[in-house]
Amino acid sequence: MKHKEVDTAKPMTVREKIDYQNEIEERVLGAMRKPTPLYWVGLGISLLMVLIGAISWTHQIRIGMGVAGINNPVGWGVYITDFVFWVGIAHSGTLISAILFLFRAKFRSRFNRSAEAMTVFAVLTAGLFPLIHLGRVWFAYWLFPYPNQRLLWVNFRSPLIWDVFAVSTYLTVSAIFFYVGMIPDLAIVRRFKKGFAKRIYSVLSLGWTGTFKEWQHYNQLYKYLAALATPLVISVHSVVSWDFAMSVIPGWHTTIFAPYFVAGAIFSGCAMVITLVVPMRKMFKLEKIITVDDFDKLAQILLFTSLIVGYAYIVEYTIAFWSGNVFEESQFIYRVVGEYKWFYYLMFFCNVILPLTLFSNRLRRNISYLFIVSIFVNIGMWFERFNIIVMSLAHDFDPYAWGFYMPSLVEFGITLGSFGWFFTWFLIFAKTLPIISITELKEEVA
Amino acid sequence: MKEEFRFEDREEFIKKLEEVLASGVAPEKVNAVYPHPDHHIEEIFEKYVPKSKLKFFTLLGGLSGTIGGFALTILTVLHWPMITGGKPLISIPAFIVIAFEMTILFGALASLTGFVLLSRVPNFKRILYPEDYGNEFVLQIEREDP
Repeated sequence: MKHKEVDTAKPMTVREKIDYQNEIEERVLGAMRKPTPLYWVGLGISLLMVLIGAISWTHQIRIGMGVAGINNPVGWGVYITDFVFWVGIAHSGTLISAILFLFRAKFRSRFNRSAEAMTVFAVLTAGLFPLIHLGRVWFAYWLFPYPNQRLLWVNFRSPLIWDVFAVSTYLTVSAIFFYVGMIPDLAIVRRFKKGFAKRIYSVLSLGWTGTFKEWQHYNQLYKYLAALATPLVISVHSVVSWDFAMSVIPGWHTTIFAPYFVAGAIFSGCAMVITLVVPMRKMFKLEKIITVDDFDKLAQILLFTSLIVGYAYIVEYTIAFWSGNVFEESQFIYRVVGEYKWFYYLMFFCNVILPLTLFSNRLRRNISYLFIVSIFVNIGMWFERFNIIVMSLAHDFDPYAWGFYMPSLVEFGITLGSFGWFFTWFLIFAKTLPIISITELKEEVA
Repeated sequence: MKEEFRFEDREEFIKKLEEVLASGVAPEKVNAVYPHPDHHIEEIFEKYVPKSKLKFFTLLGGLSGTIGGFALTILTVLHWPMITGGKPLISIPAFIVIAFEMTILFGALASLTGFVLLSRVPNFKRILYPEDYGNEFVLQIEREDP
């Protein structure tokens, strides 16, 4: 089928509008057709990774925490790195869906559904890591305040409990936001399905018809959820950063941590959106809907947050050297000359140097290049968390207490499993739910 | 008796809607179905019907979250007073974090509840017998039988 170029900037005739709207429906719902062999291969690989992760975790539960590489003095290793990494990935979903919604940025409608899905699945992944890190995972419910026989309550002054509240609130609110944004689209899917599938989508769409009464309250709800999610997203990664900043470890105990982590989170999340949407666009032939211009704007956010992150790296050093605190100074010298220096250089290259190339208009509009940069940023941001967590613990106050940490095979397995778990969810999402917000694209041409 | 008008053109629909509402038909008898969120149509309706009351749900939810968050933290530390880290029992800065998260959580849950109650979803009749109009704009007017 041949498609005409549609210029949404020019006013359209009624016929053109209807054709365009039908085309959007067809294109987006076309992605939900029978999966190709490539899809099954992708899903198979993801599930295999989940299996490896599951075997590793089972092994750790059976044998004990000793199978992980964490020990004194580095008691927080790859698990906490993964936790912070996945929470960070989640953040740009809310940036794109809520913050850009409040700012009325139009290009958001191309990415928001996949970004919101990414948020929900990333928090789902992140939420596993505190459990994995716990060791005795069957006592995980002790983290929540509940009336118990001994009348004991959790310590609300502990940043780790703040985290429990922040992350569980984030999961709930982002899941509500994801689902609510999808209700009108699910009603469109319902129209195209038959038999049992139609029943399922009817239930999921809550019997949505699109009456004035439904739209009126729906729009209000969407606005308030966006307004609530915006401060939430900033608070969540701030709270995660306070897990570190509230302690006295040199390299952790700084006031810059909250904004630094939030910027880093949005940076890594934007990169992950690009990593996910580029292949998705190609596979489902969505080039007409998600244009190079839209990617260009996303790349500008990536570049901007990269500059903030780069600035934060420099400020960290400046503060350390002007503090007059020998432990602080020693920690930051250690980062560039110590055992982990290559990780630091890798992080600096991926997060600060490489994104600078996005200043070039030509490179920013080159989708393949953008995809490669986004993968490097993902790697760089994982190492940023690793560096902050491991290097600070490996090299704190007393030279006799210094140590060295390398993740064990079990930790690698679980990390691999977390990626498999995330991609499994995302692949299932891509085939069962509308991957782009159809109603919002229709609204644009109206 | 139910009168129904279907339009492909949004402008024509809006003209008809304005006409019908201005003609003095009770606004609750007029129902519009449209395929995407449309602020202009809402504005026209809201000249005749009250604005959404959803904001009160959000406000009440948020406030109860704030109060609940402080109540949970303060009452539990007083219930079993145990000093940790030499900090005061009622450490307001730490409790603000809990209260803040609970404000957001309760605000979002209450807004969702408000939507469910005000929009009357899930609509069980429509789940069993869905009504789909595609990309059409539909105007339904219930007129009293003569």
